[in-house]
Amino acid sequence: MDRREFCRIALGCTVIGCSGGLAGCARLLDWSSGGSDAGRAVSMSGDTSTATVEATATPQTEPPPDLAVRRGEDPATNVRAAVASLGGMERFVKSGGRVAIKPNVIVGREPEFATTTNPAVVAAVVSMAYEAGAAEVVVFDRPTSDPRTAYSVSGIEAAVNAAGGAMRTLTDRNFERVEIPGGVALTSWPLVTDVFEADTFINMPIAKHHGMAILTMAMKNLMGIMGGERGEIHQEFDQKIVDLATVVRPHLVILDAYRIMVRNGPTGGSLADVETPKTVIAGTSMPSVDAYGATLFGLTAQDLPYLRNAQERGVGVTDLTQLRIDELTT
Amino acid sequence: MAARERKGLHRYRRWSQLAFLALFLGLLALTVWPLGNVFLGSFLVADPLVAINSLVNGVLRVEMWLALVVLVAPLFLGRAFCGYVCPMGTLIEWTSTAKRRIGLSESARDVWRRMPTIVLLFVAGLLLFGTGAYLVFDPLTTATRAATTLLFPAIDRTVRLAGDIAYLAPPLRGAVDSVTTALSGRIIYAEPRVYGLALLVLGMLALMLAASLVERRFWCRHLCPLGALFGLVGRGAIRGRVVDAEACISCGKCEQVCPLDAVRDGYRATDTSRCQMCMKCADVCPADAISTAARPRRSLYTPSRRAFLTAGGAGLLAGFFTFTGLSRRTPDRYLVRPPGARDESAFLALCTRCGQCMKVCPSNVLQPSLSKSGIEGLFTPELDYRVGSCDWNCAECGKVCPSSAIRPLELETKRKTVIGRAYIDTARCIPWTDYRTCLVCQELCPIPDKAIVLTEETVSRPEGEPITIKRPHVIEKRCIGCGVCETHCPVPREAAIRVRGRSG
Repeated sequence: MDRREFCRIALGCTVIGCSGGLAGCARLLDWSSGGSDAGRAVSMSGDTSTATVEATATPQTEPPPDLAVRRGEDPATNVRAAVASLGGMERFVKSGGRVAIKPNVIVGREPEFATTTNPAVVAAVVSMAYEAGAAEVVVFDRPTSDPRTAYSVSGIEAAVNAAGGAMRTLTDRNFERVEIPGGVALTSWPLVTDVFEADTFINMPIAKHHGMAILTMAMKNLMGIMGGERGEIHQEFDQKIVDLATVVRPHLVILDAYRIMVRNGPTGGSLADVETPKTVIAGTSMPSVDAYGATLFGLTAQDLPYLRNAQERGVGVTDLTQLRIDELTT
Repeated sequence: MAARERKGLHRYRRWSQLAFLALFLGLLALTVWPLGNVFLGSFLVADPLVAINSLVNGVLRVEMWLALVVLVAPLFLGRAFCGYVCPMGTLIEWTSTAKRRIGLSESARDVWRRMPTIVLLFVAGLLLFGTGAYLVFDPLTTATRAATTLLFPAIDRTVRLAGDIAYLAPPLRGAVDSVTTALSGRIIYAEPRVYGLALLVLGMLALMLAASLVERRFWCRHLCPLGALFGLVGRGAIRGRVVDAEACISCGKCEQVCPLDAVRDGYRATDTSRCQMCMKCADVCPADAISTAARPRRSLYTPSRRAFLTAGGAGLLAGFFTFTGLSRRTPDRYLVRPPGARDESAFLALCTRCGQCMKVCPSNVLQPSLSKSGIEGLFTPELDYRVGSCDWNCAECGKVCPSSAIRPLELETKRKTVIGRAYIDTARCIPWTDYRTCLVCQELCPIPDKAIVLTEETVSRPEGEPITIKRPHVIEKRCIGCGVCETHCPVPREAAIRVRGRSG
């Protein structure tokens, strides 16, 4: 190698190195996001309210119910019927829009263990989104174990791919720090950007027992869109999860309760802990959906501290008597 | 002199090297969860040094016929493995392009030419005392280890960086996410791959390559234990390089170009323990005097009794002191071996230090060990729970182990295999010492019955007022030591729940 060649290589390496460094700086300075994180959070909640306004403003003889509950042997039929009752997927998905779906894939377990959202339900929602005109449907979670094994073992990857959707493995670049203006215990946290950038965000938890939160359903499912070290979230959890719900408002919430885990949650692993109410609950408010979900375990919203907080802070209605509920066995 | 047309199969030597290097890296790249039915560890199973080590330690595998073929090949082909197949040899040859070399004096060269014999005797000494530590220097384990801890992590980081740059342009983001997902768990990982001791591996590799500054392919010539083993067989070569003594004009060109220093006795004879049949000598011979034929004229180094005893004795001594070392009696308390690993002493004897288990591990928890089981344990796999934990859905490490130091386990068996046991450090655990809620270890415990249970206790805090709080306990009978609890424990730096190794 002569001196000139060495200089060329050194220069090339420097250029590559600098561009890499610049890329890192750009992410830190957030040049590319076209606005501050706080602005993004606000615009997000703005979108939600307009969507709701449009929906209620359309002349209808009867407004859609707050909650649609369907029971039946086939999980896919149940979820289709429930969403139809809420006004159909067209109410939530606009033609050519992007849809982001967040199931619960905490670890890799076969669907029978009720640790992860039922793949048939997720696949049905992906199909419905496409039928309503969605251009792209992405599905993601941030499992606590290796995402590839979790996606694969839970059966969700195969089901989503078969329905034409795309699984997403999240890396650093999918998260950005979001301010939580009204946060009591949590004032900012890195969250998945797709939740805010997608035209429709669908929260698709499974109902199951949780050692600390008592039950994990829609609100607790939002922990999966959080980046960083999530271990410390467990202190003052009942406030933090409500703080998060003030900025992340899914357009549609579908609680899978075809199988539920009644003990040893949230990871379970024993069929003895699984019951099968064969139910799905759909709505637009996480606290309302969770309040109904609690009844499947013989509890009420008053038994869950985070739902009490949510009610007090006006995040959603948890008193089932105040909600219009459309219940049916398919 | 104008380049002459080369004849014979050796014309395609470069292509053969390239093909085997690509095959080697390709198979290793495919060594990820979940393993299919393709047998990916072919190179290491075909390694006669690994096979002999396994046999001596009582492990016989059907695939070893491959190693037998490779082992007897030098009778007919010389050390063709070194020049046509070995990925390490290829790497050393291709980087060995220095124009000026330090060179050896006549007397030094005589000493170095004895090295392969000494290396073999030393290996035999270690082998006798049941340590596989010398396999660290096997070229195939070295190449596997270097690719696992250096090359693939570098690719991971490079692809990520490229993705980060592309992500700056919003229109490209969807494509970047798709590619990331497609490569995830294969080439790139949600958390980038990281291996301890990468610098040590790099340093070792650099020394092997840099040795070529002394003489061309210095490592291959004198130090490689696998090369030495081939040389041992090659001593009895039936076929090899022959020189037409009548035609030879004693120009010495063949000796100059020979990469492995195999030309002897006025160019007419061959050290068949070294010749790799690359036939560079034939290509440069102006008299066309060199070819291959049966019964080559051999010139071999035979160790004197003194050399024999010195080398063998040194090996025996090294083996004896490893065998009786402190670490053999009490390995480090935090040393945890992969599920399916044999008892520590058998493990140390069998493990090839190749790192294929670390390559396949989806959680990156398998890491090269530095000294937890003494110096002979260098580069053997251990679980480092700061990086990850043993995945409930994976039992692949035993399937790729070339010597079954880690026995292959069915997934259901692996889930019941105890590799260690978690202990709670109540002086640092959040509910125990800070009186605040935390149950990360319990919620993520993958054992169906939960090896960690919470008890509700009413205790009085140092400030005075009592508090009711849930505190975790480990149930000894249920814990298998997978370490999910330790990995996710939110206590910074050192987890408040730690897995310790099992006995035996």
